[in-house]
Amino acid sequence: MADKRQMVQIESLEKYFGEDKERVHVLKGISLNIPEGSLYTFLGPSGCGKTTTLRCVAGLERPERGKIAIDGNPVFASGERVYVPTNKRPIGMVFQSYAIWPHMTVFQNVAYPLTIHRRPKSEIKKRVEDVLRIVGLHGLEDRPAPKLSGGQQQRVAFARALVNEPKVLLLDEPLSNLDAKLRVQMRFEIKALQRRINITTIFVTHDQSEALAISDQIAVMHAGKLIEVGTPHQLYSRPTRKFTATFLGLTNLIEGKVIEMGGDSKPGRIETKKGILSFIPATSLGRNQAAVISIRPEHIPVHKEKPQGLDNVVEGTVKEAIFMGDAYHCQIAVGDMLLAVHTHPFLNMSPGEKVYLYLDPQSCNGLPAEDTEGMDETMMGD
Amino acid sequence: MKAFFSFQTLVLVGCSLFVLYLAGIPLLMLLYGSFRSAPIGEPGAAYTIQNYVKAYFDREFYFLFWNSLKYAVGTCAISFLIGTYLAWINERTNTPLKKLFMVMSLIPFIIPGILSTIAWILLLSPKIGLINLAVKGLLGLESAPFNIYSMGGMVWAEGIHLYPLVFLLMSAAFRNMDTSLEEAALTAGSSTFTTFRKVTLPLMRPAMFGVLLIMFVRGIEAFEVPALVGVPAKISVFTTKIFLAIHQFPSDFGLAGAYAVTLLVISTVGVLIYQRITRGEERYATVTGKGYRPRVIDLGLWKYVTCASAFLIFFLAVVLPVFILLWSSFIPYYGVPSAELMAKLTLANYKYILNYPLALTAFKNSFYLSVGSATLVMLLTSVIAWITVKSKLPGRIFLDNLAFIPIAMPGIVLGVSLIWVYLTLPIPIYGTIWVLLLAYITKFMPYGIRTASASMIQINKELEEASLTSGGTWFQTFRKVLLPLLMPGFVAGWIYISIISLRELSTSILLYSYNSTVLSIMAFDLWEGGQYTYVCALGVLMVLLLVAMAYTARRLGARLGIQA
Repeated sequence: MADKRQMVQIESLEKYFGEDKERVHVLKGISLNIPEGSLYTFLGPSGCGKTTTLRCVAGLERPERGKIAIDGNPVFASGERVYVPTNKRPIGMVFQSYAIWPHMTVFQNVAYPLTIHRRPKSEIKKRVEDVLRIVGLHGLEDRPAPKLSGGQQQRVAFARALVNEPKVLLLDEPLSNLDAKLRVQMRFEIKALQRRINITTIFVTHDQSEALAISDQIAVMHAGKLIEVGTPHQLYSRPTRKFTATFLGLTNLIEGKVIEMGGDSKPGRIETKKGILSFIPATSLGRNQAAVISIRPEHIPVHKEKPQGLDNVVEGTVKEAIFMGDAYHCQIAVGDMLLAVHTHPFLNMSPGEKVYLYLDPQSCNGLPAEDTEGMDETMMGD
Repeated sequence: MKAFFSFQTLVLVGCSLFVLYLAGIPLLMLLYGSFRSAPIGEPGAAYTIQNYVKAYFDREFYFLFWNSLKYAVGTCAISFLIGTYLAWINERTNTPLKKLFMVMSLIPFIIPGILSTIAWILLLSPKIGLINLAVKGLLGLESAPFNIYSMGGMVWAEGIHLYPLVFLLMSAAFRNMDTSLEEAALTAGSSTFTTFRKVTLPLMRPAMFGVLLIMFVRGIEAFEVPALVGVPAKISVFTTKIFLAIHQFPSDFGLAGAYAVTLLVISTVGVLIYQRITRGEERYATVTGKGYRPRVIDLGLWKYVTCASAFLIFFLAVVLPVFILLWSSFIPYYGVPSAELMAKLTLANYKYILNYPLALTAFKNSFYLSVGSATLVMLLTSVIAWITVKSKLPGRIFLDNLAFIPIAMPGIVLGVSLIWVYLTLPIPIYGTIWVLLLAYITKFMPYGIRTASASMIQINKELEEASLTSGGTWFQTFRKVLLPLLMPGFVAGWIYISIISLRELSTSILLYSYNSTVLSIMAFDLWEGGQYTYVCALGVLMVLLLVAMAYTARRLGARLGIQA
């Protein structure tokens, strides 16, 4: 990653909505770098500022402070009073509603960016044909836009965004208007399309499974701040922030205090209400600090007999076990705490049963208990 | 940032300043004029409150006030009852043939007020009125049963002309009501009548009150009926009083101004209350949201009664007036339909009108004014609507309110104001067709802004942004994306404005000169000259012109708009 060129650079972006008393601080200093050719996702709950950040890159919103550069050229810089209007930025955008113009045909919609730039007719025809072939709509050129299905509209929107060969493709929750089945199918198609033409893409979504499935890198955002950046794998299995751990997938949190940080291949030690446990602490933690352990439900093996020779074993009672086909989803009471555990469907679980849970230290991620601050500068480097 | 004087800025600032000029200047000048002792240019003019003293300390003022009030309330009551009744039948009952109602109700829109007034005089005049003569003959009465030259007659003529507006507004209100609210009351065990009383009525109340206010304002600013019927009957209202103050010799502009300000205050209060009410209503409408299929009430055998009553209303409001106008336009001298006159049907009236020296000028002027004002209003208000709906520019709310001001300005008041403006400002257009064009644009701007913002709101912001992200400039986006999408609303607004421009009388009558005569003025003059049959021929031609224009506009709009 490090040797790649940064296609989009965002620095200390600040944005407010509303006036006077109703002024809301929606972006609180967002900084991130998006490498060329990557599929980069802004992920967060609604109102976290992900769409606003995207719209700032597009120039549809004007931030109060900060800098944005596309391919090294500043398009916004509050200090130097630089503001390149949307129509002069090298971007293509797919909107949540697709925004297919109903008074135009498929061809006219897709050809629009080229017509605007007064390209010759023959070139327009060829490029529109090419891009329609790429998105799989070849032959539908003359179809009026209102006569398209949801999936087709989305493809037209992609074709229109790509036809002028922009440097950055912006996708604002493009899958949220499709039905569940098509949505899953389109994930693969978008990913494949992005790989094939190797275009730097920013993808905004609130759907964590979508983000995990599609992204090269994910920027997790919350309340106008950047929480953490990483690959889907990193963020899911080794989150460094409590928010990331809880927002991406299901997890169990066990509170405690760090006794020992460990090091090299040696796990740390943490004191919890369930006794002293071994865990892998985040680098930002230190001795005597309040921390939480995050452990995923599918990473907790269940034993009916107490396993011998293992650390981190706790005893619990099955409260509820729901058969899901591919697994049992169980609620297991450990003292006054309820843990969510997913077990193998062949392991018969019935409520009231006494079981032993192995909290594998490698799966116990120790995270700072306080999680109010945004990502700090030192974590930005990687 | 780099290009401050971009094309966009130029258009936006230009349009805003133009609206400020159109709506603001007349108001200021009207106030100014009402405090002057003599019109501009005359020596010795000074500030004075004499005009108001003269107006308010005249005993006649209070008769005037009382008459205007009676007239407005009566008009309001008649049009509201008829319009609401028809709207209810149309939207909420299973009355047969109700599909025809909408069309039938739209026909009176095409008939200019002056023609409908003339038609009712020809129907209800004690001496020559067709209905009077018919009823007298049928029942063997000594004297005429009806008299148009009375407050009752005036109220009827105005009310029957205005009810289509109530019909349209109330139909919309009935249609937009979420009937699941009524169904919830029914399932909770309340009877149909209790449901109506406790749910339907309270839900409809804001809409009803709003419509009543509109009709009141329409009544108080009406000019045609008071001028043609009220003046000979010696029943004065504000509008005719202002007209007479200017038309007497020497003209009393100051007094007209004082009356005009009074009238303006009354109608402004009405409009302000109306806006407050409908604002609440719109907010409510967005809460209920979706379009529900209205629950239709099965009237049983009563449905034939409602059907018959609807057709009786249409017979009175449409068939009779149109018939009398057509009849009168084809006869050599005025008379009630008879076998004797049937034999003498002639095209002489039409020939006379077409050879009338002023007729060609009037037709041309009216046509240019109506096409010009409709086009300019819709273009101007499309830009203004973009600012108020889509942009986040500061002052956009102010601009919206500003463009709406003229709705509270009765035509005659606008006329008085514009006399002051163009006698004062060094813009030499007084007495030309240009002052009429500006007057029409000012007067119809609020209608334009309404249609334009309504269509603008429906256009998803992302449709525009998609153009910007495709590299389109603001102007390209406006022309290639917004205007085509606005086209259906644009055309509807255009048709409406061109129609009301063509029949405009109350403002034109204070501002026209020989060379800028328009059709409605010509009709007014012919009527004053007692040439009834000629007026009717002219009226028929006007209506034909209106129909042709509306038809052409629709065809053009369909070609340019969306084929959904």
